[in-house]
Amino acid sequence: MLPFAANRRQALGAAACGFGQLALHGLLPASAGASAPIQTPHFAPRAKRVIFLFMQGGPSQVDTFDYKPLLEKRHGTNLAFDDARTIAKTGKRGSSQLVKKSLWKFRQYGESGRWVSDLFPEIGSHADQLCMLHSLHTEGIAHGPATLFLHCGATNLVRPSMGSWVHYGLGSENDNLPGFVSICPSPGNGGARNYDNAFLPPMYRGTTLGSAGRPAADARIKNLVNKRYQPGQQQQQYALLQALNAAQLARHSADATLDSVIGSFELAWRMQRDAPSVLDLERETEATLRLYGINQKETNDFGRECLLARRMCEAGVRYIQVTYGDSGANPAWDQHSNLPKHADHARRVDRPIAGLLTDLKQRGLLEDTLVWWGAEFGRTPYAQDRGTGRDHNPNGFTVWLAGGGVKPGIAFGATDEFGHMAVQEKIHMHDLHATILHLMGIDHQRLTYRYSGRDFRLTDVHGRVVQEIF
Amino acid sequence: MSFRLFLLPLVLGGQLSATAAAPPDTLSPADTELFEKKIRPVLVEPCYSCHSEQAAQNKQLRGGLRLDSRAGIRKGGDSGPAIVAGKPAASLLLQALRYETLEMPPRAPLSAAVIANFQLWITRGAPDPRAGATAAKPRIDLEKGRLHWAYRPIEKPRLPGTARASAVSPIDTFVNARREAAKLPRAPVATRRVLVRRLYFDLFGIPPTPSQIERFLRDESPAATERLVSQLLASPRFGERWGRHWLDVVRFAESITLRGFLFPEAWRYRDYVIDAWNNDLPFDRFIREQVAGDLLPATSLEEQQRAAIATTVLTLGNNNLEDQDKAKLRMDVVDEQLEIISRGFLAQTIGCARCHDHKFDPIPTRDYYALAGILRNTRTLKHANVSKWIELPLPVSADRAAELRQWETEAATLKKRIAQLKTVAQGGATPLPLKQVAGIVVDDQQAQKTGSWMQSQFTKSYVGTGYQHDRGEGKGEKNATFQALLPADDTYEVRFAYTPGQNRSPAVPVTVFYADGKKTVTVNQKQRPPIGGRFISLGRYRFVRNEKAKVVVDNRGTTGVVIIDAVQFLPRALADKKPAAAAKPQPASPELLSQLEKQLQALTAKTAARPKYMSVQEEEQIEDTQIHIRGNVHTLGDVVPRGFLQVAMIGPQPTVPQDHSGRRELADWIAGRRNPLTARVLVNRLWQWLFGFGLVRTPDNFGRTGGTPSHPQLLNYLAARSLERNWSIKSVLREMVLSQTYQLSSQPLDSGTQLDPENILLWRMHHRRLDAESLLDAMLTVNGSLRGEVGGPTIRTGTANDYGYQHGGERRAVYWPVLRNSLPQIFELFDFANPSMVTGKRDVSNTAPQALFLMNNPWVLQQAERAADHFLREKQLNDAERLRYVFLATVGRPPEPAEAQAMLEFLTNSVQDKMTHQLRWTQVIHALFGSIDFRYLP
Repeated sequence: MLPFAANRRQALGAAACGFGQLALHGLLPASAGASAPIQTPHFAPRAKRVIFLFMQGGPSQVDTFDYKPLLEKRHGTNLAFDDARTIAKTGKRGSSQLVKKSLWKFRQYGESGRWVSDLFPEIGSHADQLCMLHSLHTEGIAHGPATLFLHCGATNLVRPSMGSWVHYGLGSENDNLPGFVSICPSPGNGGARNYDNAFLPPMYRGTTLGSAGRPAADARIKNLVNKRYQPGQQQQQYALLQALNAAQLARHSADATLDSVIGSFELAWRMQRDAPSVLDLERETEATLRLYGINQKETNDFGRECLLARRMCEAGVRYIQVTYGDSGANPAWDQHSNLPKHADHARRVDRPIAGLLTDLKQRGLLEDTLVWWGAEFGRTPYAQDRGTGRDHNPNGFTVWLAGGGVKPGIAFGATDEFGHMAVQEKIHMHDLHATILHLMGIDHQRLTYRYSGRDFRLTDVHGRVVQEIF
Repeated sequence: MSFRLFLLPLVLGGQLSATAAAPPDTLSPADTELFEKKIRPVLVEPCYSCHSEQAAQNKQLRGGLRLDSRAGIRKGGDSGPAIVAGKPAASLLLQALRYETLEMPPRAPLSAAVIANFQLWITRGAPDPRAGATAAKPRIDLEKGRLHWAYRPIEKPRLPGTARASAVSPIDTFVNARREAAKLPRAPVATRRVLVRRLYFDLFGIPPTPSQIERFLRDESPAATERLVSQLLASPRFGERWGRHWLDVVRFAESITLRGFLFPEAWRYRDYVIDAWNNDLPFDRFIREQVAGDLLPATSLEEQQRAAIATTVLTLGNNNLEDQDKAKLRMDVVDEQLEIISRGFLAQTIGCARCHDHKFDPIPTRDYYALAGILRNTRTLKHANVSKWIELPLPVSADRAAELRQWETEAATLKKRIAQLKTVAQGGATPLPLKQVAGIVVDDQQAQKTGSWMQSQFTKSYVGTGYQHDRGEGKGEKNATFQALLPADDTYEVRFAYTPGQNRSPAVPVTVFYADGKKTVTVNQKQRPPIGGRFISLGRYRFVRNEKAKVVVDNRGTTGVVIIDAVQFLPRALADKKPAAAAKPQPASPELLSQLEKQLQALTAKTAARPKYMSVQEEEQIEDTQIHIRGNVHTLGDVVPRGFLQVAMIGPQPTVPQDHSGRRELADWIAGRRNPLTARVLVNRLWQWLFGFGLVRTPDNFGRTGGTPSHPQLLNYLAARSLERNWSIKSVLREMVLSQTYQLSSQPLDSGTQLDPENILLWRMHHRRLDAESLLDAMLTVNGSLRGEVGGPTIRTGTANDYGYQHGGERRAVYWPVLRNSLPQIFELFDFANPSMVTGKRDVSNTAPQALFLMNNPWVLQQAERAADHFLREKQLNDAERLRYVFLATVGRPPEPAEAQAMLEFLTNSVQDKMTHQLRWTQVIHALFGSIDFRYLP
C-alpha cells in the first residue's frame, strides 16, 4: 500500500504544479472504489454470475410449467384443500375449494419432452436447456413477507438481499461498474429492502436502474452524466478538482485513507466514460433487438431489461436482477380474479426471456451464467372464492434455472397431483438460496457476517444444497 | 429414567407385547425384529443426517433432537419428547411424520406403510435396544457472567498517580497514562483555526462562517474556547445535530417499505428528541419517557404531551404489516422493540436468545421472554389483513378534554340515531342466515360466475355470508347462474335477493329458465326489495323434479353496480302463506337524515382537528408469556414471569405488577443508577459521536463478542460523572470537548502511526469524514441559503406514499423526511444510518457513486452555482481576495500557495466574458465541494 501511495502522491503532486496538462485517465492504475475485492470462492464455481428474472406477483405454476391433467378431470368440483391463507387466518385445514383447470393447453417440447403451457411457447422451445424445479415452497402468504423472503431469506427481520450477499462473498468482476444491479425493481412489497445491504457494508447495496412500471428505455445509473458543463468544461473542472485534492493530500502527509478520495474520483470518471456504453442498446444489431422483441409494442420494455442484463453480464456484473412487475399492492402476475390476464404478462416476457437464453448461449455466456426464473410464490390450483382467479400459494410452485452448471432439460421435485403442495424432493426457498450460492462457489454455511454479536447467513440456520441438479 | 408398564387394549397383528418398554437387554424377538427391520433403517436414513450425535459433531443437528439413542428419542429436542412410549397420539414424532405439526422428513413425507410401522412401534412401547445417552446442555453461569467488565458496578476510579501536571482535565489524565505507558508520542494541540471548525461541526453539524472564525481567532483570552463551547451548547442548532445522532440509534423513519405507507405523525418524535437534547433533559428521564411515557404521572400538560410523544419510538419499526400470521407478527414487533431497547440503551444483543440461550453472553432464553412478556402486553398494532400502527389524540387540557368528550358523546349519539334510521330504511339491516330462508335457496357463493365479482358485506340486509357486485365495470363480461335441483314437480315462486343502494343499476336483467321456457325480468336495484327488504319476486313458474332450475343475472347493458345475493325457489303452498304481519317502523324522511348527517359531519370535523401522535397502548389482558421454542410462535414452552436481564441486575430483581405491562418497571430498571450498562453505553456513544470512535468500538454491543474498552477507567469515570451530574448530557460533552485530548491535532506522527496505527490510545485526534447531513448542511451554509426554521411536519402535503419522493429545499438535513423507500440520494450515498436498524456507528465509505454524485448531481451543481452568485455579489473584491473568502467559507482557512496558484490560473486562463467568469467560479466552488478539506474534518 505505502509505496503505491507514495507513487500516487508524487504523480499527483507533480500534476498539481501544471494541472492543465494532467492526463485525465490512464495515468494511474485502478484502485479502491466501488468494486469489492474479489474473494476466493469456497470451491470451484459453476456459475460466475446470476441473472434473476423476477416475475412479481406470483405466476400460476399449474398454468405455466407444472402440468396437472387431474385438474381437467376434477374441474368444477369441490374438494378439501389445506389453503395457506385460511390456515394462517383461522387454523382451519381442509377447506372446501372449487378445482379450476388451466385455461391453457400444455404441450411437450424438445427431446426432454418437458411440458410447457401455451403461455410460454418461446420459452418452451428452450425446454431442453431448462432445469425445472417443481417442488419449491416458501414462507409468507402475502406479497410483502414472501417477497422479502425471496430476496432476503426473512419475512420481516431486516436482512441483506441475496445480491448483496453474493457481491459481498465474491466481489465484482469489473472495476467500472457496480457488482449488484437491480433493473427496474418494484418500489412495492418491501421496495428498497429487496436490494438492500442491511448490515453489510454499504458498498454491497444493489444499484438500481429504472423502476418497475416506468419505461425501461429511461433506466439510467444515477449521476452518470453532467448536464451543466460541456465535455471540455467538465474535463477542465475535473482536472482542477484532482489537482486541488492532490495539493490537499500533500498537506495530510501520513493519512493513507485519504488516497481513496482521489481513487473514488478516478473510478467515477472511468464509470462515466464506460458505463453509458454498457447501457446503450443502440449499439446492438437489428437482429439482436428483434431477438428480444425490442421496438415491438408488448415486449419492448421487458426486452430492453433482458438485453441490459446480458450487457451487464458481459461487463462482469456479478448479480443482476430483472423485475417484471409494478408498484401495486397486487403486482403484475397477481391474478386473484381474471386469470386470463396471465396471457398479457406472458406475452410481454416470453420472447424477451427466450431471446436472452438464445443470446447468452450463442455468446457462450450461458455456460457460466445462471439464469433463474421465479417469483415469491405460486398460485392455488383452485379458484379463489370460486371466482375467476387463483389465490397465493406458498406451499408448492415452480422455478426454473438455466445455464451455470445445472442439468439441462430435467425436471426435479414434484407437487401433489393437483399441483398444490410440494411433496417430492421438496425445495424450500432457503434450499434454493443455498443451491444458487453453491453454484457460485459459495458454501452458504460459511458465507457469514458478524453483526450484533453473532454470525448471520442468508439461509439463517437452514438450507440444503440440491446437489441432484448439478 | 423409569419404565412404566402399559397394558394395551389393542391386539395388533396378534403380537401383544406385555413388556412394552422393557430395558434393552430383555427385548422380545418380535420387538427386536420390528425395531431392526422397520424402524432403525428409517431412523438411520433419512433422520440421522440431522438428528444424531454425528450430526451434532458436524454442526448439522436440527431442533436439538437426537434420534440415535433410546434416551435421545425419548428426551426429544426443543419441542419436547419425540415419542411417548405407548401413546402414539401424544408422540410428536408421529405427528411430524404425518406432516401434521412439523413436516418430517422435510423433502417428502414417508409412505403410509412406514408411518404405520412407527405407530405400531410406539403403541408397543417403542422397544429400543440402543444404548447411549444424550449430553446435558451446558447451563449459563450467571455468577461467572457478572465478572464481564460491562456488568460490574460503576465505580468512579481514582486518578492515576502518574498524571502529568499539564493535563487540564481528568479525561486527559486517564488518556495520558495509557499513552505514556505505551510510549506513544502525542500530537500537538490543534491550531485555533482547526479547533473552531471542529467545534462548529461537532456541536452544530454546520461550518462556521468566515466572520465566526475571525471572531474566535480575535478573542485571545484563555476562556475563549469555553465561551464558544457554552454558546454552541446553548443554541438550538445543537439539538438538531445531537438529536439526529440519537435518531440513528432508534432507527427513526417516517414511512415503512411495505406499500410505502407514510407515518404522518412521526415528525413529532423527531422534534421531541431535538427538544430533549436542546433542553438537556436528564438522560434517565429521556429513557423513561421513551419506554413508558404514556404511563408516567405528569405535572403539566406540556410534560404529559411530551412524554406521550416520546413513546412513538416503540412504533417506528419497519414491520411487515401484511404478515398473515398475526401471532408471529406480534412477536416480531416485540422482537424489534427489544432490539431497540436492548441495543440502544444497554448495548446488549439479546435477539440471539429469542431462539436459544445466548451462545456467548450470559443471557438465557428465559430472560428474553421475561422482557418480551413486558412488550407483548403492550399493543403496537391493530391487526387486520394489513395491520396498522396506532395513532392517538394528543393529550389536551382538562377544559378542552371535557369539551371534546362532550362533542364525542354527541357524535356517538348522532351516529347511533342515523344508523337506526338507516336500518329502518333498509328494512332491517341485519344479515339473514340461509337456514332461515324457506324453500330452496341458492346463495351467491354457490352461483357459477363468469368475470370478476367482488365480495361485500357493506350493506347489511344480505342473505347468507355476504353478497357480490360487479364493481360497476366489465359490462357484458359478467354473469351469475343460480342453479337448483327442485324436489318436486310444482309451481314455485322465484325470488331474487339483492342489497339496494343509490349506486345500483336501475335495470338488471334477471332471466328465469323454467319448464316451459324462459323469461327475463328487469329489476331496479336502487329500490328497496319489497319482500322483507331483501327479496323481489320474479313471478311464479312451473318446474320439473330433478331438472335443473336456473336463474341467470347478467350485467350486459346495465349501468351502475349490479348486485347478486341469493335466489329463492318457494313452493306454491309456502308462497301463498301470508307472512305474519310485523309492526314495521316507518322509514325516516331523507331530509331528516341529511340534516342529522350534516350535524355529525360538523362534530366530526371539530374532533378530528385534534392533533394525533403515534403510540402504544397497554393490552387489555395482561399476562406472562411462554418461551417460544426455537423462536417459533406456534411451539410454546414454559411460561416465564416478566422480568429483566439477570446478569445486569445489581440488587434485588424488581417485581412486575400483575395488572399492567411492566414497561414502567422496565424503564426504571434501565434508567436506574445501579444499572451497570446504561451510563456506560451513553458516555461511550457521546465519546464516539465526538471522536469518531468510541472507547468501546462496538457501541451497540458491550457483550463478550463486542469490543473491550480501550480506556476502562476513563469509561468508568465518565459513566460515574454522568450520574454525578444527574444524567446531564451537556455537562459531560462540555467536559469532553474542553479536554486536551479532544483538542489535539489530527496530523499523524510517524512513530505513533507505527506503534498504534488505529489511534486506539488517542495520541492524536481522528481525521473524520463529514457525514451526509453535515455535507448537505455545509453546502447550504456556504452559499447562504440554509434556512433556520425549526421543527414541524416536512413531508410535502398531498404525498400518498413514499415511492419516488422528490426531496429538496433549504432546511437542515435533519428535517428532510426519512422515507424508507426514498431516502434523499445524498443520505443513501454518504452512509446515512439504515433507518430500519439500530445504528450506533455509521459506516464511513469512500465510493465512486459518491464521487459521481459530487461531480454530476444537479442539486450539487445548483448549490455551487448559487454559491458563485453569492460570492460574486461582493463586487469590490479581486479574484485573489474573493478566493481567500471562498476558502474561508468552504474549508475554514485561506488557500495554500499551491492551491491559490492552481485556482487563479483556472479562473484567469479563459475568455473573460461575464458568463464564463460566473461558470469558472461555479467550477472552483464545485471543486472545493469535492475536495478533501471540505469533506473531512482535521
